[in-house]
Amino acid sequence: MLDAALLAMTWRVMRRRLVSSPLAAVACLAFPAFLIWAVVGHSYGTAAKFFFFLLPHVFLFAAQDAVRSDIESGALETVLFIGGRFRGYLGAKLFIIAIAAGAYAAGLFGLFAAWGLAVGGYEPAFALRFALALLAGLYYLALAGALSHFLRAGSNVLVLILAQAAAVFGLLATAASRPGLIDYAASGRFPGPGPKLLFGALTAVLPNVIVSGRISIFTGEIAAGLGLALYAQWRLLRRLEIGK
Amino acid sequence: MIEARKLAKRFGRIEAVRDVSFTTKRGTITAMIGENGAGKTTTLKLVLGFLRPDSGTVAVAPGRTGYVPDRPAYFARLDGWSILGLARPHRGRRGPGNGRGHSASVLAAARSLLFDPVLLRRLPASYSAGNAKKFSYLQNLLIEPDLLVVDEPFSALDPPSIKCVRDVFCGLRADGKTVLLSSHMLAEMEKIADGFVVLRRGQTIAHAGLREWRLLRSARPGPDLESVFLRLAGL
Repeated sequence: MLDAALLAMTWRVMRRRLVSSPLAAVACLAFPAFLIWAVVGHSYGTAAKFFFFLLPHVFLFAAQDAVRSDIESGALETVLFIGGRFRGYLGAKLFIIAIAAGAYAAGLFGLFAAWGLAVGGYEPAFALRFALALLAGLYYLALAGALSHFLRAGSNVLVLILAQAAAVFGLLATAASRPGLIDYAASGRFPGPGPKLLFGALTAVLPNVIVSGRISIFTGEIAAGLGLALYAQWRLLRRLEIGK
Repeated sequence: MIEARKLAKRFGRIEAVRDVSFTTKRGTITAMIGENGAGKTTTLKLVLGFLRPDSGTVAVAPGRTGYVPDRPAYFARLDGWSILGLARPHRGRRGPGNGRGHSASVLAAARSLLFDPVLLRRLPASYSAGNAKKFSYLQNLLIEPDLLVVDEPFSALDPPSIKCVRDVFCGLRADGKTVLLSSHMLAEMEKIADGFVVLRRGQTIAHAGLREWRLLRSARPGPDLESVFLRLAGL
């Protein structure tokens, strides 16, 4: 259970950090700027594809300093966190990051949808794709949060991005000579368990692929992965000690 | 106020604490002394709940607990006022800790510690070691603790600040609060402490209450704490 007093305190810490971080401001503005460029330079449809595919990464980048950086800074060894309250703070922090990234994503989706309605490019399926992007984003947050128990700020995100880069190169290699994973994923039909398992592994490191909404079994995989990563987080937080 | 029994804590192959037992009473100042690596800081962290004991138990009486670490660190990007505000109820609620009353108590506590309130507008990361320590005392005094635990209470402080901090401890004791200090400064501890817990290699080797200490002091020639400690530690 989240402690309401800790939530309020965590929110004050996170809000201050976000407001005074130039990097966060640049990151928050870069994504909409890219979308505007895509709409103006190409089309609303192209921008929509980029929007939904890239939206989960908002959560990934938001999770970069979830745990380890706070522990190593020594800031948790103060009067505010005695009696094990640091565990509650770190749990609340993850919750606040999810809410903040979700609010940013929802705001951006609202503006993007309004633009789509104005130019006649909005489709009803966008709402489902937005929900799937949120699911993929929360999965990223839980996974990167769990990794940040072991890896320093930024390294947890970097590990996932490197894994994604390797997976994408592998994916492109399968598409070169014969029908590959991209074709199977596009059609939503896989010829056997082998390609399915391979695509499942790809989905685990690049959950953005579920936003198409055509491959429901992998959406289930990400939902299960989210549950598993949250459980891992809960176990890690319960065992966490400060000042070893 | 605190009752620790047979505390043990191991970090991998290192046995930081293996048999620490002591009690502290309400309205007293207890000094925990020992060599470097004796297990003092680990014991404090076990008492405060930052670490979990591998075996043994620690019980702390209900009430507000304060903690001043040896080298305090604070959240980056938050200035002094913001950090002091973190322990307060949310701004929307009315309460005794809010508004002008809060600022007045901050300024009064800052004065009692010789801490320049102007520094509160700056990030604590930019404070000198002494001011960072005083800021930690300030943070603790504002929560009005029933138990104050301090690791190296006088480290990085100048002589006038040491006197102020000593007065703070004595004031807390006079108000019936409990203070647990871990320090190497034996002469300072001797001035203010009512009881002593001596640790060596992760074990309690002596635990003297006020009565025992007075008896020891009344002996002629009265040994000072340093000679008692050196004898106990076999040095």
